Amino acid sequence: MVRISWFVLIAGCVATALTAAGCSSSASGSGSGSGSITLHVQGMPPATDRAGTAQFQQMVADFEKANPGIKVQGSTNVYDPMTFSAKLAARTVEDVIKVPLTEPQRLIAQGQVRSITGQLQAWDHYKEFNPQILAPLSDAGGQVYGVPQNPYAQGLMYNRALFTAAGLDPDKPPTTWDQVRTDAAAIAKKTGKAGFVAESKDNQGGWQLTMMTYAFGGDIEDKTGGKYVSAFDDAPTKDALNLLKSMRWSDNSMGASQLNNQTDVVKAFAAGQIGMFLGSPGTYRLAKMTYGMTDTASFGAAAMPQAGGGATLTGSDVYMVPKSVDAKHADAAAKWLIFAYALPAYDTTAAAEQAKTLAADPKAAVGVPTLPVFDAARQAQIADAVKPYVNVDLSHFTPYSSSLAALKLRPEPEFEAQKVYAVLDTVMQAVLTDKGADVDSLLAAAHKSVDATLSADQK
Amino acid sequence: MSLLTQNRPPTASRRRPLAGLAARRRGLETRRQIAGWLFLLPALVIFGLFAWWPIVRGFTLAFQRTNLVDPAQWVGFDNFRAVLDDPLAATAVKNTAIYVGLALAIGFPAPLILASVMSTVRRGAGLYRFLVYLPVVIPPTVAILLWKWFYDPGSGLFNSLLGKVGLGPYPWLDSPHTALASLVLESTWAGMGGAVLIYLAAMAGIPGELYEAAEMDGSGVWRRIWHVMLPQLRPVIGLLLLVQLISTIQVFTEPYLFTGGGPQNATMTVLLLIFRYAFQNGEYGQAAALTTLMVLTLAVLSAVYLRATRSWSRT
Repeated sequence: MVRISWFVLIAGCVATALTAAGCSSSASGSGSGSGSITLHVQGMPPATDRAGTAQFQQMVADFEKANPGIKVQGSTNVYDPMTFSAKLAARTVEDVIKVPLTEPQRLIAQGQVRSITGQLQAWDHYKEFNPQILAPLSDAGGQVYGVPQNPYAQGLMYNRALFTAAGLDPDKPPTTWDQVRTDAAAIAKKTGKAGFVAESKDNQGGWQLTMMTYAFGGDIEDKTGGKYVSAFDDAPTKDALNLLKSMRWSDNSMGASQLNNQTDVVKAFAAGQIGMFLGSPGTYRLAKMTYGMTDTASFGAAAMPQAGGGATLTGSDVYMVPKSVDAKHADAAAKWLIFAYALPAYDTTAAAEQAKTLAADPKAAVGVPTLPVFDAARQAQIADAVKPYVNVDLSHFTPYSSSLAALKLRPEPEFEAQKVYAVLDTVMQAVLTDKGADVDSLLAAAHKSVDATLSADQK
Repeated sequence: MSLLTQNRPPTASRRRPLAGLAARRRGLETRRQIAGWLFLLPALVIFGLFAWWPIVRGFTLAFQRTNLVDPAQWVGFDNFRAVLDDPLAATAVKNTAIYVGLALAIGFPAPLILASVMSTVRRGAGLYRFLVYLPVVIPPTVAILLWKWFYDPGSGLFNSLLGKVGLGPYPWLDSPHTALASLVLESTWAGMGGAVLIYLAAMAGIPGELYEAAEMDGSGVWRRIWHVMLPQLRPVIGLLLLVQLISTIQVFTEPYLFTGGGPQNATMTVLLLIFRYAFQNGEYGQAAALTTLMVLTLAVLSAVYLRATRSWSRT
């Protein structure tokens, strides 16, 4: 009896020990004892993107050769708001994260990312960065928190085949919003497809309304007496919304389904169901590589149509260093950011090497126009260097790139952009789903709601 | 050992071995208890780490402001005030209440009716059970993507079918008036299988004599259902009602994937708002405050419900 009890006791201990072992952290840590460190970085392309993966691995090998003592471990993860918080709290987030340009200001304001200004300033070409590109990655004190990749200005993406089918000239896409309305109506009437589709959910309705407000000459936020207040309850945003309302309900040119985010829209565009939408040339990659657009010759890109604003919204992927990363890893991370994302936008040899590797895969998209990370002259040199490897029809992007210089490039609203977008989402949804929507009262209510939120957050 | 010997008072010479025996028994008992606790410990550790600690942490987070990196600041009831001042919170509570009401009106009787019909089927019962349970094994995301196409106002299945009989087209998810009901329809379809099987099992346990006696007394189908079947199913109905109440109050996947809370916040639910606070706005404290309020509401509702139905489910 006693023997059995001891056996049971030991078995219990073993069970407890096994549980404890199972619960213990299996993370190996990112450092090693010999003075070298391992850097965990987001931004590695998925395995299905063979050329992208090969190029990333080559980049890692070159970096490790140039920086003995730093090992780079790539991850296909990207910033995901659902997991980022938990990983940050558990200190298991990567040392470099890849975030869309809608996020940096919130991450900076909440102190969840590290400033890498000092490390960037140590780079010889830091002062040559395009200040417009760095502005959305900086705080009010001038501290810089990230490095951009493939920055872009928002424009009008359109289906050239549908333009032709509707009797429109695909080489002359709309440059004004009045023309957008006319062309959208023609496409809807002649082809039965949606002439123009606007996004309206997951905060992307507010994002698109911001683009339109800029193009109509308006603003989303204003800084009065050192505090941010809403600035959209005026003629430009009203005109933009009234135009959408007319297109939706009078012209019936915006398709049937109205609760869409960017994924829904690009997917439908890749399937040839949409004539025009607001986006970046980078959606070409998304349409071709993610949603299998076969008729890529139909992809056309034009600059943002205007209605008195002469401006467009900018965007990019951004690489940042989380606040949880220690100083040693942050230094290594900054070196990686310069090597992997700043240098190929500055150095023609590095740019050509990357383009050559990517072009090996016919599924890849090489040569999609981007905004200059440095100055226009440097951008032109980079464009020349990658020219032999370009596999997109650049003439279809000419209406976009030829008009960019005339537009003012504007960043996202500086303060609590996502909260503002969430409120403006409901305005966009009302206009697109309710025939009797009253734009004036919708904007007045949104203005009140946004001001209350901004005020509460600035106490 | 006889009762006589048990009752005999111990002499001094007998006391020592008896005391030793008692001590040995106590030692054995202690070891058994230790072993029991050690066996229990893994479960306690797992529950503690993955269930109870997060609950405690969530509760404390409701009184803090944090960016999850720097030390959290205690802010008293600020997060609760912010949530209660947010007009969207009232909208979310209202929408959730309507969703729960619609789910009870549509989703609760549906499996009971279906199970009643299926229990009378003699041929192909297995096939019907398989077909009814099939939606449960379809991953929710896949089911929602499928139903998104059903609901498409342009080329969707529902409008195409209704169009053939001269009805529609209806906006379904695109209208604030029909969006919430559209979510309930899908979730009823997706979740009904489990409840049907439970009802079928409970119905199989009802003694046939009760139906026979009722039939001999001249009861028709409706009276047999009303006076025999439903009273026999009361405990199961009560349990499923509570489970449905709790799960529908926590509705998230449907509004998140179908509508993102739109149009015009018509499908913004409490859990979706918690998600927005935490993951879109980074207001973890407010998210925890709203979660705490929701948990307290659920606990009170459950207690009231159990108290109200205690006697009902016993009979």
